[in-house]
Amino acid sequence: MSSVQTVVEASALCKNYGTLELKVEVLKHVHFKVHESELVAIGGPSGSGKTTLLNMVGGIDKPTSGKILVFGEDLASKVEDFLANFRCNNIGFVFQSYNLVSTLTVAENIAFPMEWLRKPEDCIRDRVKQLLESIGLQKRSEYFPFQLSGGEQQRVAFARALANDPPLLLIDEPTGNLDKKSSDRLVQILKSLSENGKTIIVATHDDRISDEADQRLWLEDGKVLRRNE
Amino acid sequence: MSETSFPINDLLRRKFQTTLVVISLALSVGSALFLLLSAEKIGFGISLSVESRLTVGISGIFSQFVLFLAVLIISAGVVMVSFMVSLMMSQRTKDIGLIKAAGCPSELAFGYFFTELLIVVFLGCLLGTLLGFLADFSSSVSSNVLSLQVGPFGLNWLTALIVFVLFLVIGMIVGTKSIIDASKTAPINLLSPEYRFGVAKETGFKTLSKRSTTFAVALRSLVRRKSATVKIVLAMSIVFTLVTVGIAGGLIASRTTQSWIEKALPKNTVLIAHEEMCTRYSILLKAFYEGGSPTDFNYTDSKYVVPQELIEQMTTRYGVANVEKRIITEADVREVQGYVPQEGSQDVSTVGDHRNGRSLLIGIDPEKTQGHWYIDGRQLVAGQNAEILVGDTLSRNLFSVPLAQRLEVFDSDFDVVGVCIDPINNGNVAYIHYDVLQAASGIFGPNLVLLKIDMSTNGTTAVQQIDAIVKAVNPNFTVLDLGEFLSGSLGFLSYAWSTTMVLPLFSLVAASLCLVGYMALAMEEQRHEYGVMRATGARSSTILRIVSDQGLLVLLSSYGVGVALGIIITLLVLIHDPVITACTVFEIATWQAMALGITLISSLYPAIRFARKPLFEILRQN
Repeated sequence: MSSVQTVVEASALCKNYGTLELKVEVLKHVHFKVHESELVAIGGPSGSGKTTLLNMVGGIDKPTSGKILVFGEDLASKVEDFLANFRCNNIGFVFQSYNLVSTLTVAENIAFPMEWLRKPEDCIRDRVKQLLESIGLQKRSEYFPFQLSGGEQQRVAFARALANDPPLLLIDEPTGNLDKKSSDRLVQILKSLSENGKTIIVATHDDRISDEADQRLWLEDGKVLRRNE
Repeated sequence: MSETSFPINDLLRRKFQTTLVVISLALSVGSALFLLLSAEKIGFGISLSVESRLTVGISGIFSQFVLFLAVLIISAGVVMVSFMVSLMMSQRTKDIGLIKAAGCPSELAFGYFFTELLIVVFLGCLLGTLLGFLADFSSSVSSNVLSLQVGPFGLNWLTALIVFVLFLVIGMIVGTKSIIDASKTAPINLLSPEYRFGVAKETGFKTLSKRSTTFAVALRSLVRRKSATVKIVLAMSIVFTLVTVGIAGGLIASRTTQSWIEKALPKNTVLIAHEEMCTRYSILLKAFYEGGSPTDFNYTDSKYVVPQELIEQMTTRYGVANVEKRIITEADVREVQGYVPQEGSQDVSTVGDHRNGRSLLIGIDPEKTQGHWYIDGRQLVAGQNAEILVGDTLSRNLFSVPLAQRLEVFDSDFDVVGVCIDPINNGNVAYIHYDVLQAASGIFGPNLVLLKIDMSTNGTTAVQQIDAIVKAVNPNFTVLDLGEFLSGSLGFLSYAWSTTMVLPLFSLVAASLCLVGYMALAMEEQRHEYGVMRATGARSSTILRIVSDQGLLVLLSSYGVGVALGIIITLLVLIHDPVITACTVFEIATWQAMALGITLISSLYPAIRFARKPLFEILRQN
């Protein structure tokens, strides 16, 4: 039997915001592990620290204390340039508000993570075309984000996250703005991506995603209260 | 919620953005006020230092130059302030859309944002005025330390008030227009980046080449934000026009005026005359850089006539390249009216009046003269005895259209054939044919002799030997080296121009500060965009390169326009027949390259600050 690689390992992870007088403890000694090709759902009420946890896995934010290893790298100790390069090669991020760049077209929004890796022009063009087809927005490649619906913007955000074919996907509340049909389709896409080797961590309130997940974490008041594997 | 509490609370909660806009506005207003005060002081300083010095033509160039710079300073300030305000308001358009979408009536929304605008613009202008005074005080102190001739520091309230009111009014007009437009627009449009940024669509998706990713991203971003880009390029173009006129104009004007003096006072030339005449001649030449009015002098006294024996000895002497006899005297002169053809008809109209004056008169032989003045018109021609060449001060004081008029001297009329620049007697001089002046003045012979020393001989020894010969013939006669007066005149011109050149340096610093303000605002506007880029794998250095490429593109575009305009203004409006040498071009190019480098480096400060900010904070601020 082949050994399964640990993709994310968090131990005693703490995150505080604010000043000494007005300290907010967002995460309190969180422990968890995520293995290769797993689909992990992080649930919990609003303000429980789901997005903060995703940000730390993605190297966007740093823990106040504790350790977080992603693909064996201790991200808390790394400098910004290493993290940028690391994200570019290993992590695709789908933000809750999509965070598309308003002055770039759909095609350009998908292309720019590849541009940071200085991939050849032909390669970028082909990959953009392939991703646009997979999200069904070939005819909107020249549109700006504000000319798209919320669902379409989310699809573009997914395509951008997949542009460099990263092994780890971090997705924040993907079904929050979608109707039931679109949500069902998205769950199938996530399942399919996971089956094809992607490790996916999703912060969500949606039970349909949680039901399909290989591992479920329930965060409340900054702590992991339940864990189902 | 009252109409005043919302705007104040809103501004206080947006401390960073409010501070940024107020500081940017203050920098624009402050730099404009400071430059204006400096221009006024430098103009004042020059007028003090040139009082009764320089020729009218040369001091005219100085005053025209300072006046032009002042106009450009005001224009640049106006454009910068209106640009800052419009940039600020374009950032608030989304908020106006949100507040309207939440049900706020248009009039109330207008009231809120108008109050905010008033507070921000008032604070910006007030702080700017204080900043301008502070900078003016600091520059006065440093000028004193550097011994530069500028006017004394004083609180010039009138100029400050004019600048304050002007920029407040302009800021309010530009800002109010944006608020009125936004108030009339549907919330859905206000929330759209298409409306807010004027996002423009390009044709076709282009992947970026491997080598020029950052440049292409920068270019794309500028093209997409067309409206803001056009405004900053326009503003910076005016600033660079100002810098170019200041630097290139100053250098060219300096070189040109110096060459005029060099032509009038040729190098390696000595004068032989009676000691009293030499003293008199020194006073007349020194008037250009030391001022003062010459007292009465009897030029016609026969004791001043240079002995013929001496002239003959000099003519045959080795090392003397040219011997020129001159007669110098003073006389009453009178303007004679002239006639000029009327445009579009065969009629003629009378020009001029019957103005009187007193002028220095010098008789020369046009074929042998060593003076090769800068002349508007032409030199005297041998055989054409009824001609006269006038100095620029005499021309300005006595004539309307000098080349179409005549001058009456010793009851004879002379055609004015040229106006020359000559430092002697501050340009209040006229040159006529030697024989004519001799006959009219009754002076028996030359009272001055100019010797051109052969440059291949040892000049000092040659002058000493000539002096010995002169003393041997007549001990009352002496030799005067004109090189001292050439150096004095050139030194004074150089000093006066170097004082003026302080202004473009100041304007460059001001431009850099304004650009830092713009870049900070632009970074703030594109903060989210850059944050997303960093979140998806762009390094901080990549963002820094994108921003520096954007700055470079804006600077190069405005630099091209500004330099071209500045050169055109300098050559076509400020200085006619400019003297431009390879050295001048190199000096101008060095200064301009420094200007470009300084502005580019200073514009990077906000980007460096942004690049150091933690990514999480950038994304959280959205």
